Amino acid sequence: MKSPPHGTPVTMDARNPAAMDPILEARGVQKWYPNGYHALRGVDLTVHRGEVVVIMGPSGSGKSTFLRTFNALEDFQQGSITIDGFSINEDTRNIESIRREVGMVFQQFNLFPHLSVLDNLTLAPVLVRKRPKAQVELKALELLERVGIGEQAHKFPGQLSGGQQQRVAIARSLCMEPRLMLFDEPTSALDPEMVQEVLEVMQELAADGMTMVVVTHEVRFARNVASRIVLMAEGEVVEIAPPEQFFTNASHPRTQQFLQQIG
Amino acid sequence: MPASFAPPSVSPSRWQRLRTELFGSRVDGLISIALGAALVAIALGLLKWTFFQAQWAVIQANSTLFAVGRYPIDQQWRLWLLTGLLAAASGLSWGLLRALPRDQTTGQLWPFNDRLAAGVLVALALVAPLWLQLSLAIQLRWWGITALVLVGRWAMARWGSGLPRGIKRLVPLIWPGLYLVGMVLISGGLGLIQVAPSQWGGLLLTLVASSFAILICFPLGLVLALGRRSELPLLRWGSVVYIEFIRGAPLITLLFLGQNILGFLLPGGLAPDRVWRAAWVLTFFAAAYVAEALRSGLAAVPRGQLEAAQSLGMTMPQSLVQVVLPQALRVALPAVVGQFITLLQDTTLLSLIGLLDLLGTARAVMANPAFLGKSAEVYLVLAVLFWCCCAALGLGSRALETRLNPSDQTRYQR
Repeated sequence: MKSPPHGTPVTMDARNPAAMDPILEARGVQKWYPNGYHALRGVDLTVHRGEVVVIMGPSGSGKSTFLRTFNALEDFQQGSITIDGFSINEDTRNIESIRREVGMVFQQFNLFPHLSVLDNLTLAPVLVRKRPKAQVELKALELLERVGIGEQAHKFPGQLSGGQQQRVAIARSLCMEPRLMLFDEPTSALDPEMVQEVLEVMQELAADGMTMVVVTHEVRFARNVASRIVLMAEGEVVEIAPPEQFFTNASHPRTQQFLQQIG
Repeated sequence: MPASFAPPSVSPSRWQRLRTELFGSRVDGLISIALGAALVAIALGLLKWTFFQAQWAVIQANSTLFAVGRYPIDQQWRLWLLTGLLAAASGLSWGLLRALPRDQTTGQLWPFNDRLAAGVLVALALVAPLWLQLSLAIQLRWWGITALVLVGRWAMARWGSGLPRGIKRLVPLIWPGLYLVGMVLISGGLGLIQVAPSQWGGLLLTLVASSFAILICFPLGLVLALGRRSELPLLRWGSVVYIEFIRGAPLITLLFLGQNILGFLLPGGLAPDRVWRAAWVLTFFAAAYVAEALRSGLAAVPRGQLEAAQSLGMTMPQSLVQVVLPQALRVALPAVVGQFITLLQDTTLLSLIGLLDLLGTARAVMANPAFLGKSAEVYLVLAVLFWCCCAALGLGSRALETRLNPSDQTRYQR
């Protein structure tokens, strides 16, 4: 399977799942926490190349847990998840090769505070992909430029604002040239005035054709950027619909209730 | 209407500041005077005792014993050679540190403290040999060693910054190499006559035992700390049992155990020499405490750091080495160095199992009828020697802490 050429704009085709091939397939995923809590109750989701899937839902609905099973940060007990043809199982080598292809952006940024911004970006490509350092640095500087913080490359994460840190985190993931990007509430820990700069970067990324799964509460982002919106509640997928249908004509009463609460 | 909004004078003279700090109110003044008088009285008493009452013959007559114990006299040149090598290495490292680029945050005393250190060194070289009434030959060696330090410092400070990066990176590697060379020089082998550990003593034994224990207990403690957080039950429980067992037993009982049990457990000849047995016991003991210090450091690194590293495809060892450990070490460093200092002082327990470390040697000297009742002099010298070693460890740790501080590292960049 080949990834689409870089820079493919999101067309209406991307919103028609049948026209694309799947990059992520989750089937009947069930997860119990060690304390017995049933966090995921048989969840299905298919994500196609070039799609932006936004997962919404009340807190405790299992959306972050679900997202984190995609790169095996959370395990699951039943069901199957296939990323780009690789099935997630117990084999750590297999998990590492999947994680190389799946970028993740965290709510708390999780930048490495002891490394400069540039070293944050180059660490994994040099170590994991065995790329020559000089080449990776050029790419890293280009990415930093692209997310609008080229001049901060030699600072340390602690010297940047929250919004800048999150943009560095996005660039750090992109530096691994992932085929799929996961965003776990990327703007929830930010001061309000910094939310927009991060969302803009994500929007550009989507426009460049990156396949993204985003857990977020940002309604405007979901409405403007999402190919499809998934609503989760109590560990289940309640509704999957394109944004216009999701916000105006939701079929499930649980969705209508959620929309009223955030409305 | 005020003509300007200039701030009031913000830097009062030193005298003014001293006056407000010491004599801010009537009570403050009384306390200051009382404490000051007490300090002066103590200092005067100490000086009077040191110069008029104390009889330093006990130190003068036994200075070699305190330094190296019963190390064979015809082999002592090896120790002088080692001291010379150490002096040269310290001089080079010191000079290189001075030559590193610095910004304004080097501390208020810079470069006064640097010159002060050099001055103290020179004063020590001039005063100590005379005071110890050493022979002229040995006095000359002292001066030579001091000169080595100062010349190395001067040369490196002058030309060090011009050296290629590769060579500057190699300078710290002198130290592990020198440690191995030193071990060979001390114990013999490779063509040198063997000097059995039972012949080592005094400061030499204390430094060998503690440096060995410090070097080995750190990696051991790291393995135990990681083991205690491991997901493999056998490794985790093994680490927990080890740490809790060691921490639950007083060091002295473990030292006695080591001396007696190891001989029974291991077939004849395999059991290490008594000195090494004690050094290993010290090592295993300290490893448990270092493990706990490191565990607190590991716990201080947020879980998200490991997750971020792993989400980038890094393996567990890569994530630990590149991401988690550097942060954990920085947090744990003060506690770990504190443990090293404790370890250094714990070597005095070796005297209780019949080894002639610094304290053991001192006890042997004080048991000599010729020096009866001179314990105050001996203990004071011992205390000063230990204080010097511990202060050196503490200074090194503080320097390392600054180096590991991310925002400080900006000044060492490219």
